[in-house]
Amino acid sequence: MSDSIRVAIAEDSAILRDGLVQLLADRGFEITDAVSDPEGLHESITRDLPDVAVVDIRMPPTFTDEGLRAAIELRRLHPTLGILLFSQYIETRYAAELLADDAAGIGYLLKDRVADVSDFVEALVRVASGGTALDPEVVTQLLGASRKIHSLSGLSAREREVLSLMAEGRSNAAIATALVISEGAVEKHVANIFTKLDLPVSQSDHRRVLAVLRFLDS
Amino acid sequence: MMQADASGPGVRLGFKHGGKERVIVLSEARVNQIRHFGRSAWREPFSTQAWHELAFFMVSSMLTGVGFVFIAVTMGAGVALTVTFIGLVVVAASLRGARGLGRFHRTLARGFIDEVVEEPLPFSARPGFFGWLQSALRDRVGWRAVAYCVIKVPLSAFGVWFAFSVWVDAFFCLTYPLWGAGAARPKEFGVVLNLFAPGFLSVQSSGFIHGLFIFLTGGLLLLLAPWPMRAVVFADRRLIHALLGPDPVTARVRSLEDARTQTVDASAATLRRIERDLHDGTQAQLVALAMQLGQAKEKLAEAGDLDIDEVRRLINDAHGGAKEAIVELRDLARGIHPPVLDTGLEGALSTLAARSTVPVELTVVWEERPTRAIEAIAYFCVAELLANVAQHANASRASVRCTQHGKWLRVVVRDDGGGGAQPALIGSSSSGLRGLIDRVHAVDGTLEVNSPAGGPTIMTIDLPLHA
Repeated sequence: MSDSIRVAIAEDSAILRDGLVQLLADRGFEITDAVSDPEGLHESITRDLPDVAVVDIRMPPTFTDEGLRAAIELRRLHPTLGILLFSQYIETRYAAELLADDAAGIGYLLKDRVADVSDFVEALVRVASGGTALDPEVVTQLLGASRKIHSLSGLSAREREVLSLMAEGRSNAAIATALVISEGAVEKHVANIFTKLDLPVSQSDHRRVLAVLRFLDS
Repeated sequence: MMQADASGPGVRLGFKHGGKERVIVLSEARVNQIRHFGRSAWREPFSTQAWHELAFFMVSSMLTGVGFVFIAVTMGAGVALTVTFIGLVVVAASLRGARGLGRFHRTLARGFIDEVVEEPLPFSARPGFFGWLQSALRDRVGWRAVAYCVIKVPLSAFGVWFAFSVWVDAFFCLTYPLWGAGAARPKEFGVVLNLFAPGFLSVQSSGFIHGLFIFLTGGLLLLLAPWPMRAVVFADRRLIHALLGPDPVTARVRSLEDARTQTVDASAATLRRIERDLHDGTQAQLVALAMQLGQAKEKLAEAGDLDIDEVRRLINDAHGGAKEAIVELRDLARGIHPPVLDTGLEGALSTLAARSTVPVELTVVWEERPTRAIEAIAYFCVAELLANVAQHANASRASVRCTQHGKWLRVVVRDDGGGGAQPALIGSSSSGLRGLIDRVHAVDGTLEVNSPAGGPTIMTIDLPLHA
């Protein structure tokens, strides 16, 4: 499945950039370009549009949120381009900004996640095919900061686990695998969650993510 | 017996005094100075400075009269009324008025005699009427202005007798022939009256000769007149600086505030730099390390076709990366606080000197060990300066000298390189020479850069032993 996925990488640390190129090439991705700053990324993508771009948030010149700005701009220019933001810190504000209007083809992961190569590759594939991949850390922070504690306390422990995984952007099948339960059981939990939180039921995974995030954030 | 010998450069004056030969040697520059003064002194009455000083003296003396009356009346009334609360209010109002008088004197000084005095801090009242009253009564600027207005009274009086009188005499003597005889003719005044008895110049025999002598005296007085006035105005300039400028305590507070701001900024910049170094260095290396190990782990799990060479390569890379991360972390930790510093500055400096790529000669002489903070500042200064020497100076040797001078530690870093070092040009604002200067200023120390083009460069750092 990953044979045909084309990836551009923007990462200013040479050691990580080379590591990513090597890892993804090894996993059968096609690397269109590996650059070290936002301008390079723009040029590269204009020249050769990949399926997904892996973008470091902190890049030159100011090393603050250049990657995020570039990602938002690239999404505007190329709505089909998947973007996986890659960072050593999780800032929920960045997640909120990135997911402001759409969660399709958006990912936001801690750099540490590359250590679990398969999970990372799976998340990248998900983003490339229009899904969502949010770092568990983002979801934890959102759950922790949410003012909807009252509604959330109505959920069972298992339902909370399902909610977290759902917010990360995983499909029912993936949730079932992660929790070692049947897909039917997951569907039941999801239905319960939507009823308890009074959310509009939706079919596609990324709409589901957005609904959950809006709920937590409101 | 005196003889001058002007054959060589300068002048030798030899004379006998008390049976001994004494020689006064004047350098050529000094001789020229004296010659120049001699040539220009007679032009002094026609210089703008002389007239400006005269005008300043007249205007400011009048203001002094007005100011003294104001202060005498208001302070007198205030003190008389201190039994009631109103007295305090009157004194406070008087102090506020004195502040205004002070400002007026400063403006006069700037306008007439180019004496620029820094403005004191503006009056800042605490909220509420009682806050205002308390602030006004404690206003050092106001009290100092009162002191100025009071001290200026005898100074002005002295000036009228000592300096202004010479101008007046000069004027009247020069215009003597124009005044008709009798009562209309002005009396001699000041110097003439004091030095020459009445009738001293009166050559009774001839009205014309008498008039001529008076006129010549006037000419002489005109040439002399600017100098006593300059002396009086000079005293006034000192007085203005001492009493109408920002007071030393306020200036000290201000410089401490500046130093604190620099320290806070510098420590924020340091933290940011450490975070950046960690983020770009060790953190990135550990992520790459985890990535390689993750890959190797998954390859080992693919039991079917195990590519042992690939796994070996990954683990090899990870091993190399781990060692690099350790080195980087160690360097970073040393940059934050070098552990060797705990054993004393001397040992830390010898480590620095040994690590330098340019040969360094180290001398440390002191009786008393400075405090830890001072040692750390001295260490980082030497580290930065030696790094600069290695990078920029193109030097073949350098020396570091630490000596104790009373309560001060002096560190001199010297190199025989190309020179031309300037605070603004070396390093970035946070970590370069500029940053060092801020660090040194924070403890009231100084860093002096002496780096002429062509070298040698001498950096002198003075730090208090205890801070």
